[in-house]
Amino acid sequence: MEELSKKELVLKQAKLAINFGVGVIAFASIWVFQFTIFPDFFKPEPTIVEFIPDSTEPESVSYFELDSADIENGIHVPTGLIVDDGCQDVMVTCGACHSLDLVTQNRATRDGWKEIIVWMQETQKLWDLGEKEVVILDYLAKNYAPENTGRRKNIENIEWYNL
Amino acid sequence: MSKKDSRRTFLSKSAIATLAAIVGSKVVFAENFPKELEPVGLQPDEVKVKIPGKSDQLKILNSKPLSAETPPHLLDDEVTPAHLMFVRNNGIPPEEVDVQKWTLTIDGESVVKPMTFGIKELMDNFDHYSYNLTIECGGNGRAEFNPPAKGNQWGLGGVACTKWTGVRLKDVLNKVGIKDDAVYIGYYGADTHLSGDPDKVVISRGVPIKKALEDETLIAWAMNDQAIPVMNGYPLRLVCGGWPASTSGKWLTRISVRDKEHDGPKMEGQSYRVPKFPVPPGTKVPDDQMKIIESMPVKSIITYPKTGAIIPKGGSFEVRGHAWAGDLKVKKMEISIDFGVTWKTCELKDPINRLAWQRWKINVKLPEFGYYEIWARATDEKGVAQPMVLPGWNPKGYLNNASHRIGVRQG
Repeated sequence: MEELSKKELVLKQAKLAINFGVGVIAFASIWVFQFTIFPDFFKPEPTIVEFIPDSTEPESVSYFELDSADIENGIHVPTGLIVDDGCQDVMVTCGACHSLDLVTQNRATRDGWKEIIVWMQETQKLWDLGEKEVVILDYLAKNYAPENTGRRKNIENIEWYNL
Repeated sequence: MSKKDSRRTFLSKSAIATLAAIVGSKVVFAENFPKELEPVGLQPDEVKVKIPGKSDQLKILNSKPLSAETPPHLLDDEVTPAHLMFVRNNGIPPEEVDVQKWTLTIDGESVVKPMTFGIKELMDNFDHYSYNLTIECGGNGRAEFNPPAKGNQWGLGGVACTKWTGVRLKDVLNKVGIKDDAVYIGYYGADTHLSGDPDKVVISRGVPIKKALEDETLIAWAMNDQAIPVMNGYPLRLVCGGWPASTSGKWLTRISVRDKEHDGPKMEGQSYRVPKFPVPPGTKVPDDQMKIIESMPVKSIITYPKTGAIIPKGGSFEVRGHAWAGDLKVKKMEISIDFGVTWKTCELKDPINRLAWQRWKINVKLPEFGYYEIWARATDEKGVAQPMVLPGWNPKGYLNNASHRIGVRQG
């Protein structure tokens, strides 16, 4: 009886060792298999890396340069925007939803532009502009400020022709 | 309809990736940028916008959403040709339209039982009517307001009078059955919101039930005996002549009969509203002190000659145009060539039908060498005339009916 149980014990340990070995091999093969097919499975989600501007540039300077061939008399011709600090931010932010005609044809005070932004956020799904809001407001208030046109302007830009 | 599907294909590229590619680097605050959006501001072809079915002589105010107006001298026809009718979009027009499958649903608290009609059913089951109807953008003339009002800076050309053919809204509402408590109707269309959200309603306005039940209020499928231009609402449109054009819903899919003032997007807040009482220019007016614009005011345009005409010495020439007054008729049309000191009454025709604009003309001879302005002034049947300077200022710049002026010279 005792011998038999000893034999059984040895056999049991052997089985255990074999099972463990098989398990390790199986796990390793599954790992290799998944790694081949889904190499990014255990990698963290890619995050957006913030652009770090050159230390010589002020923070408001944007992350891309306008093509100088597109600029005529201080106007960025493809969009019609006045070239100034914040121009690119306006291009990217405002131009996301609507054409920039809607910027260039309007005039408002800083408060007026702020109200327009708030209206778009409340009703038109504009997102939080974060620190860009100041840059954008500075640009708009400076370059697209209202002028006092009185109760009626002169008729302007008449192109004369013989009737 | 596979509106969502087509939208998804259209928006397949990741906006952030596109942005990053355009600007050549990572975009600050890109995490706040909605996933569904394609940035449009940097599209290089933006300056060369061609509006489907429209003359390239229209002045584009905004390329997305599309808005374009007609220079007044191109509005000389009694019936505005389709390619010259202005465009005012609030969102993106439907891209695929299947006329066979297009339906109009009449629903709302104040219908007896909702019903849905195909376009052919509308054509087969109701009498057809055609009317020439003046449609004017509520913001036509906004560009002149001081302080400026935000939005498209319309000059004079956000107006047209075209021939609309369809069925009377009142016939359709009577078929469906409306309850005694009906107060307002509100339309819904198939255009999609600029934010890319396929479920967000772009604009849903309407009119009080009284206006809805007028003979001339149409559910139209034709304009000038042709299919409605794509940008003006193809294949089906509500037409409420004489009222802000935004009450004439384009790409019409649904009309809700409401037991209260309709509350769709751009009915409330400051949209298409003016102060309940006159305010000094630049006043901030709270929402509850604003009222909905109903009939458009009396107005006229000079369509001939085009501003800038040089007249030979001693020559005379015809001056002509159109006049309209919302729900009312125009009873008098005058012009002045001496900056409003004296006025001459013009020949004024009756409208072809109610809510159509009226033609007017007069022969003019300039007294001597010099620079002149021709000012035009219409007076409606209640004695209300156009102002020479800007009318009452309002926060959103609606209802500017100041007299149209052109410059002319005698050589």
